[in-house]
Amino acid sequence: MLSDREVTNTLNMLRNEHLDVRTVTLGVSLFDCVSHDLELFIANIQAKIARYAQQLVPVCNEIGAKYGIPVVNKRISVSPIAVVAAPFGPEGMVRVCKALDEAAREARVDFLGGYSALVEKGFANGDRALIESLPDALSQTERICSSINVASSRAGINMDAVALMGRQILGAAQASADQGGIACAKLVVFANIPQDVPFMAGAYLGVGEPDVVINVGVSGPGVVRKAIDRLLERGTNDQGKPLSLLDMAEVIKRTAYKVTRVGEIIGSEVAQRLGLPFGVADLSLAPTPAVGDSVGEIFQSLGLSSIGCPGSTAVLAMLNDAVKKGGSFASSSVGGLSGAFIPVSEDSSIEEAARSGRLSLEKLEAMTSVCSVGLDMIAIPGDTPASSIAGIIADEMAIGMINHKTTAVRVIPVPGKHAGEEVSFGGLLGKATIMNIPKGDASKFIGLGGRIPAPINSLKN
Amino acid sequence: MQKFTVSFLGRDCPGVVSTVSGLLSAAGCNIFAATQSLLLGEFAGIFMVSVDDALTQEALQGELQQGLAKAGMDLSLIVRPTHEEEWGKSKRCEPFVVSADGTDGEGQIAKISRVFTRHGVNVESLRAFLGEGGANHALFVFEIMVPDSVDLGRLRRELVCEGQSLGLRVSVQHRDIFEAVHRIGSF
Repeated sequence: MLSDREVTNTLNMLRNEHLDVRTVTLGVSLFDCVSHDLELFIANIQAKIARYAQQLVPVCNEIGAKYGIPVVNKRISVSPIAVVAAPFGPEGMVRVCKALDEAAREARVDFLGGYSALVEKGFANGDRALIESLPDALSQTERICSSINVASSRAGINMDAVALMGRQILGAAQASADQGGIACAKLVVFANIPQDVPFMAGAYLGVGEPDVVINVGVSGPGVVRKAIDRLLERGTNDQGKPLSLLDMAEVIKRTAYKVTRVGEIIGSEVAQRLGLPFGVADLSLAPTPAVGDSVGEIFQSLGLSSIGCPGSTAVLAMLNDAVKKGGSFASSSVGGLSGAFIPVSEDSSIEEAARSGRLSLEKLEAMTSVCSVGLDMIAIPGDTPASSIAGIIADEMAIGMINHKTTAVRVIPVPGKHAGEEVSFGGLLGKATIMNIPKGDASKFIGLGGRIPAPINSLKN
Repeated sequence: MQKFTVSFLGRDCPGVVSTVSGLLSAAGCNIFAATQSLLLGEFAGIFMVSVDDALTQEALQGELQQGLAKAGMDLSLIVRPTHEEEWGKSKRCEPFVVSADGTDGEGQIAKISRVFTRHGVNVESLRAFLGEGGANHALFVFEIMVPDSVDLGRLRRELVCEGQSLGLRVSVQHRDIFEAVHRIGSF
């Protein structure tokens, strides 16, 4: 028999604390679809995606209803297109991107990720074609997400790719100027990209992954915040002593455990029903613009006036670590990013801190050295030079490379808008006030190109 | 050997379990299944016993009654023959938890459980928590066994509808989710 606490606690998590499965992501390898003929290749990938994705949405809805936990998003990740579509030029890549968009629409998923290239050490022909196609491909499609890995702790930073991405991000923004540069919201530049991340826009299916696999992304910043608030309301820890940060870390860890278990049980059952292997549960505190579903609010519960004020990096370090510990105890299949996200436009509290000037780009950069991703969903002035965007990317990649962790940059240079103005992307992408970027000129540094060598601690063999 | 189900109900106090189990033992009963529960100071115990064929139901009832009176225990007693058949044993069932909460009102449990009956769903446990979520607040937790043949979607819709008419918010969730979230499973 269940205890009353078990029942009421679970009900509260669901009804008042936004507990959900944020995404079930079907990974589909496209290596067996390869062809030198573009039309045949497109027919192959559409057929394979349709074959496996047909039942994804109905099964997710059914399992969500069975456990009373909504599966908010159903998504697909595919093999890096720059590899599987390597024979084709930029125009061919755009055709592939549109075909993937069509496949995503038919499968009724909201995003398909994997329009990706891995160029940390250099470009192959397919990589160049894909990166060149990005502005057209992302502005002419609705549901396709792209990730470009330009750095790793083993290979260093490909600064030619960094410079190129600075230009392509501006190009993608220009190509979608009528929608506030929304194409850039579907484009992320990575260091140390994980092969199994189910969250967008970084999801792709790595080369070492199974042919078809189910990965799950669980969120729950609201659940964590409420758990901290309940502890604060009680005022003492389990031993009746005054609360300290150790108790906060403990409650975050326990909550992360619970949330991860939800993801694992639902992910495994979806996989079983679809007859596919279950890959990973990625517990990441991924906010939505809804009040009460915010990572920024956790900072306030932990005693900071706002995210961005002194102490924010320390709080994020503790939060990220406690989430990982709870998650790894709950599941042997923890993967992806598993930590805390701080996407500015997608989190009402972080967005408010950025709008009011309490949170700067520099502070965000510092915080990314201790959390799971990076500079995420940040609107910057539309006239930002490509070299400055490349400089921001290079800084972020350096943090990832040296610290052996994933970092990423998803910035949106909003065409025609300046710092302090507002832009709305709608839905989960939220709205943002355009942030100031650091002053100065990085063009000569970026112009040097080449590669920043891998750090000494990469020499492990 | 024959089997009886013996139930005791009354005010709880130290020594209740010791007394009733002692009386059963003295009457030649071998307890093969037992459960007990407390609700706001009231004790309820069910014991399944096997006894010698010579001992009749009436004789066992009389002997236990006398023993209780002698021990000064204010407990009601029922002795019934045990039925071997258990509901649902031959069916494939899945355990679900139905929680209904809102403002307390008349007939809520009856009306919600009528939906279960209509669908051939068995209630294995029911608990009501009254006033814990604020004045006049009620939370009912039904643990039910749902046969595979039941249309779960329809059961859920009817429960939600019935709940709405009673001012209750109803959730229907597979029991595994509660265990997964709160318990560390055994190997």
